[in-house]
Amino acid sequence: MKRRAMFFRMITASLLRRRSRMLIALLSIAIGATILAGLVTVYVDVPRQMAAQFRSYGANMILMPAGSGVLSEADAEAAQTVIPGEELVGATPYRYVYLNMVRRQQTFAAAGTEFDQVQKTSPYFKVVGRYPSEPRQVLVGKSVADTIGVKENSVMELTWFPPSVDAAESPASGAAEIAPGMVLSGQAAGFGMQEGMNNKPVYVVVTIGDDGTIASLTVDTSGESEGFGTQCSESFFTDRFIGKPARDLELGKDVDAVSGATITSAAVVEAVNSAAPVDDTAAVLTPRTVNYTVVGILETGGEEEDYIYMSLDDMASITGQAGQVDFVELSVSASQDSLERYAQEISDSGRATARLVKRVIRSEATVLGKLQALVFLVTAVVLVLTMVSVSTTMMAVVAERRREIGLRKALGASDNAIRVEFLGEGLFLGALGGLLGAGLGFVFAQVVSVNVFGSDIRFSMLLLPVTVIVSMMVAALSCLLPVRRAVAIDPALVLKGE
Amino acid sequence: MPLLEIRNVSKIYGELKALDDVSLHVDQGEWVAIMGPSGSGKSTMMNIIGCMDKPSMGQVILDGVDISKESSKRLTDIRRDKIGLIFQQFHMVNYLTAVENVMVSQYYHSMPDEKEALEALERVGLRERARHLPSQLSGGEQQRVCVARALINHPELILADEPTGNLDEANENIVLDLFRQLHNEGTTLIVVTHDPEVAEVAQRTVVLEHGRMVREIVNERFGK
Repeated sequence: MKRRAMFFRMITASLLRRRSRMLIALLSIAIGATILAGLVTVYVDVPRQMAAQFRSYGANMILMPAGSGVLSEADAEAAQTVIPGEELVGATPYRYVYLNMVRRQQTFAAAGTEFDQVQKTSPYFKVVGRYPSEPRQVLVGKSVADTIGVKENSVMELTWFPPSVDAAESPASGAAEIAPGMVLSGQAAGFGMQEGMNNKPVYVVVTIGDDGTIASLTVDTSGESEGFGTQCSESFFTDRFIGKPARDLELGKDVDAVSGATITSAAVVEAVNSAAPVDDTAAVLTPRTVNYTVVGILETGGEEEDYIYMSLDDMASITGQAGQVDFVELSVSASQDSLERYAQEISDSGRATARLVKRVIRSEATVLGKLQALVFLVTAVVLVLTMVSVSTTMMAVVAERRREIGLRKALGASDNAIRVEFLGEGLFLGALGGLLGAGLGFVFAQVVSVNVFGSDIRFSMLLLPVTVIVSMMVAALSCLLPVRRAVAIDPALVLKGE
Repeated sequence: MPLLEIRNVSKIYGELKALDDVSLHVDQGEWVAIMGPSGSGKSTMMNIIGCMDKPSMGQVILDGVDISKESSKRLTDIRRDKIGLIFQQFHMVNYLTAVENVMVSQYYHSMPDEKEALEALERVGLRERARHLPSQLSGGEQQRVCVARALINHPELILADEPTGNLDEANENIVLDLFRQLHNEGTTLIVVTHDPEVAEVAQRTVVLEHGRMVREIVNERFGK
């Protein structure tokens, strides 16, 4: 015990009282250990960070209707039970329709969804204001908001045609006399009624001005093909009807067609020509207008900015189809294999078709693999550099302490005693550097994590022993050659008057 | 009874005969000085007696053991157990205090014992300086610490290499007085020196020249 005490006394004295050299060696080890600890921390924490990160790129599984048509919420929920609750981060249903803004003669796509889930499956959504929480509140995409000029707390008026119009019940066309102040509505088969489309006609609402001509025209082209037929609800086209009679219009003569949307243009003309006074028909074709309060503006930089978002309940009151969605986005925290299995099970159940968002999943695995390889490589290089540096320093230390080592041998130190002392100093340095490095490395990892992933890192208790042990091993390895030098020193050198 | 017996020892480095057929015997408790100019073979002799080198020819028997045939590991053991070394350059571990330097010798020998080490320092008059680093000690004080270190393990033989070579007269006298005390206590002393004044305080002086023992003088003044 006393020998050991003297051993530690000598080693610590050597380190403490001969600062400069040992500080360099200590610094080398500490830097190496810092990088090691930092990279190991990042390495351990990265899969977790990456998972969170990739999840923030959006959902990784999508549930779609099993056949054609819509997906019932009940089916969607039943399908999700395949996925263990703790792995299901979020499930967001979406239901889309087109809505008009009468005053601006524009059509916008609106989506019904569940906002508490949106925040889980699309954490990258940036909302200026807040998410809707009450009925008749909407979240408006930035591009829509810019177009129609609404801001947070603006009230916007949305108009739609109540659904469940059966073609057979369509009003008698063209019968009624046109009178000033009259409101007419009508419909005609556009592109949407063609084979394989959504079986939805083009609806129009016409108001007649005091001079007996068309004062305003609102067109619902939500059944038409996006980007083509839907242009016919925009003001550049509907304005062509203003001041014209609401009867016997001819496409190409009275009104020019929208290029690329001839069928829809023709349908609008036909619907106007056949429009009947609203009072004469069943309320089915009466457009309904409801005021919504904008509570937030959505900024994503993507196509989500083109939509108006509302609750599923609000959406159901528009579509008249409660409990139906177009698709459900799922965010699942599971391995690729599990995801594929879940998707298969869901599709096999027949309730819904599950599709994986492959791009995200693949890149998650690829990036992770590459990053881990990089971490290994950098760590190995850093450890080798540390070893070279410590070894060089210890060589210099041995050269500097030649006389002392000779003296110790002259005083009776065996080769083993010299070995043990130098390795002891090396291990002590390694332990000290390792401790220092573990602390600094955690800070380093934290900085990396905050800058790269924007989130705090978890401190792993394993880090401390791992860093210290690796540092001690590196220090011991670095000392092997210097120790051999030390052992080879001839004790007789202390006798020569050097 | 001889503690050390050197029989016809030669040490040859290539062409050079550093020691040429030297014989010497030193009795237990004797104080012998080995004198000679530089290049006379003093250092080689000292290395061989100090178990740090082996002769090319001849026998060296220390305390009944023929050290000319031992392995270097055994030589280290013998040196540690039987010999206390004192050097011209003092040679202290510069980051250890005086008392720690004494304890280093104990550490390699057996057990470090701070109390005993302090007593040894007291004996050389440095009890008060025990916690000082070598850089805070004068040359004379450092050499006295080395004397304390050499005697701490109660060696059979104290082997001193130019122990006063780097000291002023006052410190030289202190060190020689310590040698006298040790001698009186029965310690065997071999002092290698080129200084006639240091040589003549010994009982006997052996003079080396060109690797040969040329003279042996029994000092008349010894003990006076």
